[in-house]
Amino acid sequence: MVSCGRVFYFRYLRSELLRRRTRTILTLAGLALGVALVIAIVGLSRGLDKAQRSALDPLSTIGTDLTVTRSAQQEGAGFGPGGGGGQLLDANQSAVTDLSKLGKPGTHFVHDFFLPGTQLTFPTKQTKQIASLPGVAAVSNGLVLSAVHQEGVVPKIVAKVKTGGQQLDVFRRIKPPTAAEFAQMQACLQKAGVGGAGTQPNGQPQQGFGARAGGGPLDSAAARKCLPARMRAFRARITTPEQTLKQIVDPPQTNITSSSYTIGGVDPSKPDIALVTPSQVSRGRYLSHAGGNEALVAATYAKRHSLKVGSKLDLNGTTFTIVGFVKPPLGGQSADVYIPLRKLQSLASEKGLANVVLVRAKSSAEVASVQKEIEKTLGSGAQVASAKQVASSISGSLVDAANLSHDLGFALAVIAAAAAFLLAALLTLSSVGKRVREIGTLKALGWSQRLVVRQILGECLATGVVGGLVGVALGALAALAIGALGPSLSASSTSGGGGAFGLGEVLSRTATTSVSLSAPVGISLLLLGFGLALAGGLIAGGAGALRAARLRPADALRQVE
Amino acid sequence: MNDVLYEVRGATRTFRRGDTTVTALDNVDLTIGASEIVAVVGPSGSGKTTLLQLLGALDRPTSGHVFFEGRDLATLGDRELARLRLNDFGFVFQTFNLIPTLTALENVEAKLAPTGMAKEDLSRRAAALLEEVGLSERAQHLPSQLSGGEQQRVAIARALATEPRVVLADEPTGNLDSRTGADVVDLLTALSEERRQTVVLVTHDAEIAAKAHRSLPMQDGRLLEPVPA
Repeated sequence: MVSCGRVFYFRYLRSELLRRRTRTILTLAGLALGVALVIAIVGLSRGLDKAQRSALDPLSTIGTDLTVTRSAQQEGAGFGPGGGGGQLLDANQSAVTDLSKLGKPGTHFVHDFFLPGTQLTFPTKQTKQIASLPGVAAVSNGLVLSAVHQEGVVPKIVAKVKTGGQQLDVFRRIKPPTAAEFAQMQACLQKAGVGGAGTQPNGQPQQGFGARAGGGPLDSAAARKCLPARMRAFRARITTPEQTLKQIVDPPQTNITSSSYTIGGVDPSKPDIALVTPSQVSRGRYLSHAGGNEALVAATYAKRHSLKVGSKLDLNGTTFTIVGFVKPPLGGQSADVYIPLRKLQSLASEKGLANVVLVRAKSSAEVASVQKEIEKTLGSGAQVASAKQVASSISGSLVDAANLSHDLGFALAVIAAAAAFLLAALLTLSSVGKRVREIGTLKALGWSQRLVVRQILGECLATGVVGGLVGVALGALAALAIGALGPSLSASSTSGGGGAFGLGEVLSRTATTSVSLSAPVGISLLLLGFGLALAGGLIAGGAGALRAARLRPADALRQVE
Repeated sequence: MNDVLYEVRGATRTFRRGDTTVTALDNVDLTIGASEIVAVVGPSGSGKTTLLQLLGALDRPTSGHVFFEGRDLATLGDRELARLRLNDFGFVFQTFNLIPTLTALENVEAKLAPTGMAKEDLSRRAAALLEEVGLSERAQHLPSQLSGGEQQRVAIARALATEPRVVLADEPTGNLDSRTGADVVDLLTALSEERRQTVVLVTHDAEIAAKAHRSLPMQDGRLLEPVPA
């Protein structure tokens, strides 16, 4: 019945949208904004998830299932020689005492100190013990040290301290006179005319020297002469010898600047299971098998210090050539600079020592049993960490952002979606609300309720489709922009608690990686945003139109525009 | 008087305004014959517009009955009322009530569209009606581009488009100067007489009312003594 006449309704629809341009543009902009917002937020949230997965999946990329370390916190029953904290304290203090060996005071020096941090070293021979355990496929040694790079003028650290010269008074108890001495004394006294009655020939004098005996008072001066020689000279004066001591003065007041980094010794003969593996090389190449004076640096560290592949690193007189950049995953035993294990051992005076054992199980199912086996074999001093446990220690903006996206991302997306939906609904409702009188007129002209609602819905559908499409385009553009600008998120993993030995941050090793963010946008997401705008517009438009169309025409006509 | 078109029996329409009830139409009895031109006159607030809206099925009485061609409008559903308004009633409003986004031609087409007329017939018929009201050259203009008198002539063309039985005009000259108003009413009455259509004209202008066959004076919602023309 109405098939041909429908053309009028389309013209009416078009006129309504085109001739009320401001209102239409406003509605479209609102819808587009809402849709774009939903797409961008959901995309961003997905991007964070993705970034987190790629950056925070530690160890899984390097073929290591377990890392074995020995921490100072658990002294005693450890494996390897030496006893925990004391040893570590000595090792870490070497940075301070070594200052005196840098050169003459006043000269410029550059020096790198290598400190074991909180992980105790142990002979690499111990690794064989782990290798022989059932379920272990491969093992490799690593030495990860905290390095302090110091540069400046050698301080005058020697002071002259004069000691000695004091006078000391010494008092001694003197043995009583012997029988012979006593007889001699008596003879002497008698000779002096003092007399020696009342005494026993070989006993203690009953009344002492001052006792009255027979005739006359005791002459003390005469009596003193009669004492044996040793009793006359029992007082002594001692003078200590003078000496000059050289002592370190703490702290040295100089312009020394120090920066810290972490350095890892890699066994280049076992690249697959080493601290870094060839698959993590992002630029350049891996260390050569022979292990020459070559170094790998973490890409983030290289960026921070403007290092290039081919740059030279001078470590206490040994020059290393940077052969490649690596992107080590977080949480493991990662470092800023990697050199062959032997080189680091000799530089750091840790010959034959390692502080990390990297273990690969024969199959992933055996990881747990191997972990238990190692713990049992090595005792409580050993810390055996699985990839999963390591992952939980990771922190940083990426983790925060990812957590945020986990916790809030969904909520944000829901809010954004609700906002887009509400915006569409409100804009449509206000647009319909302003046309109640027009709807009344249409009804007076004989338009049925169905016809009026259909007309309004058609308009909502059109604005919804156009606004949704613009929003989809805007959202996709926003996602592209996020990907192009690539805000960089970082994640870091700190191992070891430095506070224990007073050297603070120097001892706790922090590895950082950064991942550039993207907002992946799929068809389903675009459809979601589009659908929301359309649904919001249609539902609100339908409800508004129905309400207005149900009014008695007389009431609708009374409405003031 | 010819056949009876309208028969109003005891029609009362009250509105609630807050706590008070306002009686806009108070127990009105009225008969209007076919082809009759009737003027409803009276001061504002006397219930003229309410009466017209009851006659045009734009509103329902609170009590009483409005019979159109013997059918009680109260018994008809929304769909039947819509059909009645489409085919049998034509409205002319004081404020013209043209659709602002449609051209003069399209405004006339808006009345014809629900009849399901083919597109060509629709445009041809609308154009012919505009010619009758003397606005052929203004067919493609938007209401905002037309003068008040021109807009009201478009509204007349629209009201007459489906050849209705009745044209209900609510103060059609209210927003026009007296000269233009007189011209518009002349046009309306002339076209309606040609078509033998009934016209109910609400006005407070005695000069306009004089153009009707009969005047129905109203005051306070009541119909006063009918004055034969």
